[in-house]
Amino acid sequence: MNKDPQKELRDFQVLGRAIPKKDARIKASGRAEYADDISMPGMLHGKLLHSPHAHARIVSIDTSRAAALPGVRAVVTGSDFPNIKFGNLPQTRDYLPLPMDTVRYIGEEVAAVAAVDEDTAEEAIDLLRVEYEPLPAVFDPEEAMQPGAPQLHANAPGNISAHSAFHFGDIDAAFAKSDYVREDVYETQAVKQGMLEPHACIGLWDNAGKVTLWSCKMSPYVTWRQLAMGLGLRPGDVRVVQTFVGGGFSGGKQEAMPMDFCAVLLSKKTGRPVKFVHTMDEVLTIGHMRHPMKIWLRTGTARDGKLLAQHCRLIANGGAYSSIGGFSMYLAGAMLNLPYRVPNIKYEAHRVYTNNGFCGALRGHTIPQFCFARDSQLELIAAELNLDPLDIRHRNALQPGDVTANGFRIGTFAFDECIERVAKLSGWRDKRGKLPKYRGIGFGCGSHLSGARLMGHSASAAEIKVQEDGTIQLTTGSTDVGQGADTVLSMIAAEVLGIEVDDVGFTRVDSQTTPVDPGTFGSRVTFFTGHAVKRAAEDARRQLAEIAAQKMGADPQDLVFRGREIFNPKDERQRIKLKDVVRWGAFQLGKIVSGRGSYAAADEKIDFRTGEGNLSPAYNPSACAVEVEVDPETGRVTVVGFWGADDSGTPLNPLGVKGQVLGATVMSIGHALYENLIRVDGQVMNPSFRDYKMPLATDLPKLADFQHSNVITWEPEGPFGAKEAGQGAGTGVLAALANAVYDATGVRLKRLPMTPENILFGIKRVREQKETRRP
Amino acid sequence: MTYLKRLPKFEYVSPQSLPEVCGLIAGTSNDEVMLLAGGTDAILQMRRRERVPRRVIGLKGVADLGLVREQADGSLAIGAMTTLQTLLSAPVVIRRYDLLRETAAQIGGYELRNVATVGGNIAGALPCADLPPALMTLGARVRLSSRRGDRWVPLEEFFPEFGRTVAENDELVAEINLPRPAPNSAGTYLKFHDRHSMDMTVVGVSAFVVRDDESRTFRDVRLAYASGAPTVFRAKRAEAVLRGQALTEEGLEAAAETACAESNPRTSWRANGAYRLELIRALTKRAIRRAWEKASSQTETKP
Amino acid sequence: MNDLMPVSLQVNGIRYDVAIQPWRTLLEVLRETLTMTGTKRSCGEGQCGACTVLLDGKAVSSCMYLAVEAQGKEILTIEGPVGGDPALEQIQRSFAAKGAIQCGFCTPGMVMITKDLLSHTPEPDEDEIRDALVGHVCRCTGYVQIVEAIQDAANGMQAAARGMQDAASAMQDAAGATQDAAREMARKGGA
Repeated sequence: MNKDPQKELRDFQVLGRAIPKKDARIKASGRAEYADDISMPGMLHGKLLHSPHAHARIVSIDTSRAAALPGVRAVVTGSDFPNIKFGNLPQTRDYLPLPMDTVRYIGEEVAAVAAVDEDTAEEAIDLLRVEYEPLPAVFDPEEAMQPGAPQLHANAPGNISAHSAFHFGDIDAAFAKSDYVREDVYETQAVKQGMLEPHACIGLWDNAGKVTLWSCKMSPYVTWRQLAMGLGLRPGDVRVVQTFVGGGFSGGKQEAMPMDFCAVLLSKKTGRPVKFVHTMDEVLTIGHMRHPMKIWLRTGTARDGKLLAQHCRLIANGGAYSSIGGFSMYLAGAMLNLPYRVPNIKYEAHRVYTNNGFCGALRGHTIPQFCFARDSQLELIAAELNLDPLDIRHRNALQPGDVTANGFRIGTFAFDECIERVAKLSGWRDKRGKLPKYRGIGFGCGSHLSGARLMGHSASAAEIKVQEDGTIQLTTGSTDVGQGADTVLSMIAAEVLGIEVDDVGFTRVDSQTTPVDPGTFGSRVTFFTGHAVKRAAEDARRQLAEIAAQKMGADPQDLVFRGREIFNPKDERQRIKLKDVVRWGAFQLGKIVSGRGSYAAADEKIDFRTGEGNLSPAYNPSACAVEVEVDPETGRVTVVGFWGADDSGTPLNPLGVKGQVLGATVMSIGHALYENLIRVDGQVMNPSFRDYKMPLATDLPKLADFQHSNVITWEPEGPFGAKEAGQGAGTGVLAALANAVYDATGVRLKRLPMTPENILFGIKRVREQKETRRP
Repeated sequence: MTYLKRLPKFEYVSPQSLPEVCGLIAGTSNDEVMLLAGGTDAILQMRRRERVPRRVIGLKGVADLGLVREQADGSLAIGAMTTLQTLLSAPVVIRRYDLLRETAAQIGGYELRNVATVGGNIAGALPCADLPPALMTLGARVRLSSRRGDRWVPLEEFFPEFGRTVAENDELVAEINLPRPAPNSAGTYLKFHDRHSMDMTVVGVSAFVVRDDESRTFRDVRLAYASGAPTVFRAKRAEAVLRGQALTEEGLEAAAETACAESNPRTSWRANGAYRLELIRALTKRAIRRAWEKASSQTETKP
Repeated sequence: MNDLMPVSLQVNGIRYDVAIQPWRTLLEVLRETLTMTGTKRSCGEGQCGACTVLLDGKAVSSCMYLAVEAQGKEILTIEGPVGGDPALEQIQRSFAAKGAIQCGFCTPGMVMITKDLLSHTPEPDEDEIRDALVGHVCRCTGYVQIVEAIQDAANGMQAAARGMQDAASAMQDAAGATQDAAREMARKGGA
């Protein structure tokens, strides 16, 4: 089904238009209600006590003084919970609502209070008396793997939290055959989500023993299950209501957090709703961040630069608990398969427990770190083999129809076009090697998938209620977290039914009424939920067509839905307003029109132990070029130009796509140059927006020099040809910046972030080396 | 591990005149009483419980502290409660003290500059504060007021050690006075940090030069540093290297080396001392050069 | 200490007489006492801009400002005045139209700083726009569409101003023509 996307875009009624986000106006007026904006009668305020120790046994907790403070209504500690561990994967259940006997990182939540106001709650926290017995702690993952290191979890000898390994082809033979082999080590740092809205929730335990949690969750159903498990309840007795989400990028908004459990249990004890809101320094001190990694990458190529073998060993500093870490380790290695053809692959990854805040998913998950290593090294290989950096990428580019070593089946994949589009936009060939000293341009590529098959865990469903005024109510279990799901899913439904986007009401998730869904992550929503919505709309359309056909004496197969009407193009007399069909069907025939659809892509299975299997129905290539100016006397980098191109299939809402790809890009710029959660002996030194530095408007190129282009393809697996947009675009940026800094200064940095200090001392070393080389 | 809390309980008073303020702080200590100027530091200190005053004295209502006034003798009087925004947009500052305008414009963003004050930037005694080095190189003097009367202190003598000023417990910074700049003079402030805005200063260099137009030499050079030592300081030995000399590469190198020798930058998780020295070296030269070029290009300053 | 101080706050054109503790920030009073939750609570340090309101037309971080010190000032928040504010509405329209809003948490602060900027620099260049935004963090958009929205708002406000000018000129012309006609009639009448 090779459609021409340009033609399809022209023919679409609604899709392909730059439609403003449906909730933009309410957000612009300040009337969108986020969790912290919600107030309920009798509501109490909660605060958390955090551990000052990196590793300690909890000997005792004296809550009496806190409980006695006027205005304090209840206190909870770990022993108030049923001691049921939960986690993201069955084999990684190592987390409790609050610790029973051991704290494992500085900042871990230990106890909580509920009081009549926040001031009193804060005062009460200071009155809690915890007796700790400090234990030896370990912060470096390689040390933690050594025999004799402090063990964080009894069931994880050697502090191995997760392990992933695979081997495809014959790596030893491939290296033996290679004309060129090199090995490099790359290191990446701890990076935080950095969203503006701190985690916030309200918990209610009502008289009937039912629990409700209002919270800004990206995955309400993951939260729902974890909440039920940790509380020892049936999921059916737990309700999670999604509020507007003020940014997420995964992390705590993807899962159940101690604050959620404490809110609910304190509500049980007090009979009142209890609200918790993190301060931003709490957000930056607790777990949930990107895995810092040490990546050994050994690559063998033919003389012409063709990749023959890649062997990657990876150690991830997982922190004190697992989160989604088991999957994280698989995913990094899976990226050995994208976006280049690598016939022989070997991968070994260890996620190691240390007494630091724990790590999990964060926009791109483990893909940006890996692509940083791989595309930095590719540049070095090209230089050594005297190859053009773009040529070596073209030479190895995956093509549509390829099957990768581990079984990814590549559909659309306009990688070559992405590379050329970037070369053209950036003026690469005019600039490379011709820029003034200390000005450089670098190229970087990456890739992403459109949602991961996680067996049935990837299923999404949609329901469409068709109303008598011709509007519809669209319900899914996926969340809009700012990325634009509300709008694009509404556009899909509107396209199928021939109505306007404003005719679609989009429902926020409420586990009581919306379909079960994994939530928003892994770039799955437009693709998986979009399919479900399309199917639900088609189901509704079938029902409406039958009613219309009956009313007009037409053949339902002949009917077209357009402009809020249903008509037969072959007979002008057969034309009726959609709403009239609904009314006639409802009031004359007693037919309620309701569409349902689901999509899971569960037909194929991944064997996560061997790494084999087609992880996603569709894959994106990403390419970008970055131009930098480096101040040679201070080492400071200024990004003066950025050009990116992605094959995201057919862009269903170009305004939304633009926001996603640019946002991902800027996050990666921060990751490369400025961001670093600095931990010294487990203590976060910079838990503030002042010192955890994210890019500001003055850190970026001007509009004219900051461009992204969609390479448009029609992905047959995707809904209306679409693929992901929002994570792939950030994956090539890290290497592009490293390569640009090298081009500008001759300094090759293999550790992130690339600070001015590292660059300056690198420049000095380069100068000294040049001088010593002179005869 | 300090988490930011809501503000602690305190009593609040808002005096309307300077004598009233002096009366309120007489006989008090810094533990009991806090002067609240713009609040950009004070609010955070209270949030962190670094300071828990019994009484907060809000200065925003003291009108006589908020003025920028040219004096009869040609000097400039800047009230301590002048906000950074008022300072950088004052016509006399734009006309005659571009160094000051340039410095203030690099501090924070709109929100911060609309409330942060000149007095607060000085009285806080933070080694990373940006106005003190610029003011020092302009020859600033500080007027300290108390119920006992007023006294003047040259700004370069104002910071005896890390985190402290020479102000007594019963004194407050009331005014900064700047002499009228000599003809053929100009200054520049280079504020270095990783991002392009908002960051704490890693190293700041203020260079103010007076050019002898005929001999093309430095009639005067003043250099002052933020984050180069436990206090903001003037690098007088470095200045002496260039005074009376022409602008040469060797001269700049020597001045920069001397400035490094006079510095004592600390190593912290924010930045290494060795790196700060590199910055001091490079930015000293750059700042002097830029100040010289500015002085050369401008015509006689108009009254 | 439970000292409540009587404070009169002028917010969005409405006067609120409240009794508050002096250690309450303006942000807390707006959100908790006056239940105006449009202004957001985020970094708590004056770095992110989510809590920005206008005091006498100037942007301040309300999380760093004591409520008692806001007495006597005109406070403008994202909710805007009851009668509407054409500038605010234009900015909100432009932000929505240009894709400058994703999660929306930074949006109230961004809209307020834009109003401050455009009130004293009605035709800002790109550098002036970016400089105005340094006290504002956006993690979602990468700022591009925000800058475009501010440019769009500036253009919209300029066009509206020109439109009003044109309308005013047209009215003047019409008034002039009426006067001429009246004089002519008087002349004829007097002949």
